[in-house]
Amino acid sequence: MSLAAELFRNLVKGRATILYPFKDREKVHVPEGLRGKLAYYRERCIGCSMCFRVCPSETVEMIEDARGKRPRFYLDRCTHCQQCEDVCPTKAIELTKQFENLGFNRKEMILE
Amino acid sequence: MSSGAEESIASEMKNLLGELLEVKIPRPRRLHIKVKPEDYKRAAKHLVESIGLNHVSTITAADTGKEMDVMTFLFGRGVEVMLKAAVPKTDPKIPTLTDIVPGVMFYEREIHDLFGIVFDGHPNLERFILPEDWPEGEYPLRKEYKVTRLKGPREVD
Amino acid sequence: MSVTTFKVPVGPQHPALKEPENFTFTVEGESIVKAEVRVGYAHKGIEKLMESKTYLQNIPLVERICGICNTAHTICYTQNVEYLYDKAPPRRAEYLRVLIEELNRIHSHLLWLGVVGHEVGFDTLFMYVWRDREIILDLIEALTGNRVSMSFTTIGGTRRDISPQIESKMRKGMDILEERTEYYKRTVPVDPTILARSKEVGILTPEEAVQLCAVGPMRRASTLRDDVRSDDPYAAHDEVPFNVISYDTCDFYARIMVRVDETLEAINQVRYCLDHMPTGPIRIRLPNTPPIAEAVSKVEAPRGEDMHYVRSNGTDKPARYKVRAPTLANLAPLLQTMTSRGKYEVNVADIPVLLAGIDPCMCCMDRSVRFVEPSKGKTWVWTMEQLKKYTRKSVRRPLSGNVAGR
Repeated sequence: MSLAAELFRNLVKGRATILYPFKDREKVHVPEGLRGKLAYYRERCIGCSMCFRVCPSETVEMIEDARGKRPRFYLDRCTHCQQCEDVCPTKAIELTKQFENLGFNRKEMILE
Repeated sequence: MSSGAEESIASEMKNLLGELLEVKIPRPRRLHIKVKPEDYKRAAKHLVESIGLNHVSTITAADTGKEMDVMTFLFGRGVEVMLKAAVPKTDPKIPTLTDIVPGVMFYEREIHDLFGIVFDGHPNLERFILPEDWPEGEYPLRKEYKVTRLKGPREVD
Repeated sequence: MSVTTFKVPVGPQHPALKEPENFTFTVEGESIVKAEVRVGYAHKGIEKLMESKTYLQNIPLVERICGICNTAHTICYTQNVEYLYDKAPPRRAEYLRVLIEELNRIHSHLLWLGVVGHEVGFDTLFMYVWRDREIILDLIEALTGNRVSMSFTTIGGTRRDISPQIESKMRKGMDILEERTEYYKRTVPVDPTILARSKEVGILTPEEAVQLCAVGPMRRASTLRDDVRSDDPYAAHDEVPFNVISYDTCDFYARIMVRVDETLEAINQVRYCLDHMPTGPIRIRLPNTPPIAEAVSKVEAPRGEDMHYVRSNGTDKPARYKVRAPTLANLAPLLQTMTSRGKYEVNVADIPVLLAGIDPCMCCMDRSVRFVEPSKGKTWVWTMEQLKKYTRKSVRRPLSGNVAGR
């Protein structure tokens, strides 16, 4: 039967899986352009509110601080769609490659 | 690639019914027709049996204030035809199409649940999508039904 | 109903692709005579929610209607809104849309083949196919940034472009996948486990398929040759060549083979797109508010014909948006395949296999099944594992060759 040949071939090939996160954590391949956790650079922001207008899940809230209007991000609502990064005229928002984004407390997931 | 099938179907329907309330060909392979509710079943029967559009993509409805539009989408001969009829909100009744095309039974049940339109002659108009304990008379997709929020999106505690 | 029949409710969390639907089967002995369905357990209220968000904010919402065929819904939505404006995206964007759509189709069919192996009791096939599925997920992640919800298309074109490194990785991946799919095409038709559970199971004659408006592989496994990509071409499908696959046996075996062959066709289409990709921009800018119009858009999702309808009223939010997913159209044919008629008998043991045959796509849950036998006054509950064990050791029916009068 053709499956018997396949079985023998796979016996010598080794495991197809890794025991993440206990072993081989560094073997996880993270490609360029992965849509991970949000990063915000205050010095480049001009307060135009475009990110607030395009966000589909109400992640962005506009508040005031000493320099003017700026967004505050509630990261537990983020869908990682990257629309805010696309429309930002000064590239003040960036989606990094960090994919381990769990939290136990909603207050910790607010990005100021 | 417009093959002229849209115009020939439109003129055949005009010959059958006398006059159509609206005819539009917005792009190739699309035809939108609006008829009176009395002519709805006769028009659908002619489209399915005589012209050969025997695949019904869906039946849906939309709320336009005082009336509700019932729209049937049929496909055949390379053209997607939308057949529209408007029923008043105070008496939303329209004949069923399950005796012509049996496969539309679930589409009509869904509209009955969500809009409250009654299809005369449908074999089984029970609850399909909404739960059993949903109150009678509340139709979620009508414009009067407002979606209320239990909690604000940013209340963290 | 006569005194010897009794009703068997199966669901809402039932044993197939872990989708919640509530079935009620009326049984006489082992064979099913009537099937009824109640859906709505995963109703998310998306159509009502779409009326309160702008056209651009609706794109991630449309994507999350379905986890596996998310590209089909997104392409259908963006095409629909572009029809409202009466503007077409650039040619390179249309080729990129076909590329991502065919990659999605390969992913969906491979996932389904593994699930069929699991339902039939052939877990080795399930493991192998899902290991090969990782190749396609890595390719999609390199191209779009996410493994499943791709966020690749937008109103006016696509958001990302393909680079030469990704292109060479994709060609290598396609070569490996073609070799693996050919291997599955050789093994599946001769394996006795799969043949015993799939030949002459779930018959749907061509007349029934037309009358009940079946779509997708369910329709093409009953000798009909209807495919949205050839009847109503969209994006670049009028230039990318492909063959419409259809089989004659009208049973579950035909549905498996239609999907395996469609995977091979999709691999060829991906290669054609990479070879003939036109140059140019990938996106055009459109204003926020479309003109007042109505539009209908159809796309061939992996499960069948997906149809959207939009009506705009001059604001930046839609007035009415209707999504008709392919599984809803396949529910009526599914109930017909589960009804014994003429010489064709359906047994209780065929239930999981037939439910997997339409490739249901609603939500993801898994619990137990309730059986009721009023004539004997018994009620008992089986978990999914117990029902599967029962189906695996049930008696194999002999192949007769003349079923349902065909």
